[in-house]
Amino acid sequence: MQILDPILILFYRLTGHPLVDYYLGTFLLALLTVLVGELTISIVFRINKAHLDKLNARVEKMKRLSEEALNLGDEKAYRAINKEGNDAFGHLFFNKFGLSAASLWPIFFALAWMQERFAEIALPIPWIGWEINYFFFFLLCYILARIFFGRIKRHLPYFKSMHRMLVAYDHKGVI
Amino acid sequence: MQKTSKFQRRAFLALALALVFSLVAVGAAFGQAKEQPKEQPKEQVKLVGDKLGLPGKLGEAVAKTPAGKGPGQIDPSAPRGAFGIPGAPDISWILALCWALWVGWIFSTVGAFGGIMAGVGHITVYGLGDYAKTFAKTSPALNKTLTDSIRTSNQFLVGLSGLISTINYLRTKRLAWPLGIALALGSIAGAVFIPILTGGKISFRQYQGWFGVFVFVVGAVLLYELTPRGQAGKKAAKQAAQAFEKAVKEKKDVTAQGIRVGRFGLTRMTFTFFGVEFSFNPIWAFVGGLVIAAISSFIGVGGGFLYVPYLTSLVGAPMYVVAGTSAMAVLVSMLTSITGYITVAKAGMDWGLIGIQLVGVFIGSMIGPRTQKYIPDKVLKIIFIILALYVGLGYFSQGFFGQKWVPM
Repeated sequence: MQILDPILILFYRLTGHPLVDYYLGTFLLALLTVLVGELTISIVFRINKAHLDKLNARVEKMKRLSEEALNLGDEKAYRAINKEGNDAFGHLFFNKFGLSAASLWPIFFALAWMQERFAEIALPIPWIGWEINYFFFFLLCYILARIFFGRIKRHLPYFKSMHRMLVAYDHKGVI
Repeated sequence: MQKTSKFQRRAFLALALALVFSLVAVGAAFGQAKEQPKEQPKEQVKLVGDKLGLPGKLGEAVAKTPAGKGPGQIDPSAPRGAFGIPGAPDISWILALCWALWVGWIFSTVGAFGGIMAGVGHITVYGLGDYAKTFAKTSPALNKTLTDSIRTSNQFLVGLSGLISTINYLRTKRLAWPLGIALALGSIAGAVFIPILTGGKISFRQYQGWFGVFVFVVGAVLLYELTPRGQAGKKAAKQAAQAFEKAVKEKKDVTAQGIRVGRFGLTRMTFTFFGVEFSFNPIWAFVGGLVIAAISSFIGVGGGFLYVPYLTSLVGAPMYVVAGTSAMAVLVSMLTSITGYITVAKAGMDWGLIGIQLVGVFIGSMIGPRTQKYIPDKVLKIIFIILALYVGLGYFSQGFFGQKWVPM
């Protein structure tokens, strides 16, 4: 992280006002982690798409059969399909771990950098008396950055086409 | 759809065993905490006396550790290693990346066993376990803080890796809310109590011993699945599912009716799915959530693989409903547990290490599907059974008897 330090610290020198710079800098850092994470997840998704398609088709099939068995009141078939479906779901669930990791990894490098730079800083919360450290403040900014990026990504080049593909998959529950 | 008493009996038996496990673990933590004064060195030793810029309890524990270059001591002038502690193992990023690649490969081929391997990485491969052990007598507080850091790191790696899939699974709207609420409340309770009760109180040896027990149980379940009895059960299920598939022609017009909540009582709740009524006792769902979250939090795992079979047995509901419902419990309990360790137990984290490991996990998950076809499923299972029994035995013996029954 020492190599990136001179670049990342620029986010915290935009206005010259320490508190505003801390708010703005952390938000921009969080936005950068969202952007890099989204870029990585899109690459992993494209590479693993065929495999995920196969797993998803199996889960979908077991889901449909389970519903039909339930509808027909066939308890024996229903239990058997549930057992098979458990297996199929487990495979899909653990395969999605790779996608989650691809999306989240930049957060931890950002936190590692913030720990070195801002570990001692605690922001007081007005009226309550509590203080939040760099970890919780970054998480707060990350959530806001995700919401913000979610709104604008459909207008950005590359992410626009990726967004359409992910929305199509969202309905199937793959990603 | 009637619930069979056989399923319920199994679920309650598993729950009772899990409850005993949790109580013994918490009891052991308190026992260890009371023993602590006996371990204080009699002679006055020179302490580090400074937090060395380390955050939370980690800094406090380091300050109270004897200064020096020997085992169980800290040399403030030594190069900084894991968690920023001078002289701690300097985990090579190549090693961390390679091990995580292996973990990601397992997640994408075998599944849940990847979480166990992530734990083995933190404990053995990176040398954090042996390092924590050196402070057992010279600085018990540092030994226990490092233990908290190791189990929180495990939970981060395993739990957060499933965050996106968990959130998206909930979007499929197959969540049985009454069941989810009862389960989530229990999960929150379990995930809050464990960091409060055991944070800073569990020695590394105890943790390693319990981790060994856990791995051993997982190995035993995998072994059972390979026995003729376990295979017969799976084969029968597969045949029944195939027979049903043949019998029913594909109906594309099956309208999803989703879940409708029925009765909402303290001892009995009901919901309907495809017009069929399911009922369950929310107290048992709460207790189940509490115990499973407690175990997951204590060991540092996700817990999803425990919630799903428990709810399938307890409620007999479709796995798609149960999986979505338990996903919510996993998410809630994992976030509660991690927050508890960081805020209440003030466990120190090596964020960079987690970041490198996540990079390894996603690269491994891309390699897995491409190499899986070259290794038969059965061979993979046998490899992981041997690994589980080996690791389980090794950790159990080191943790509870201080001896290595198998070379590690």
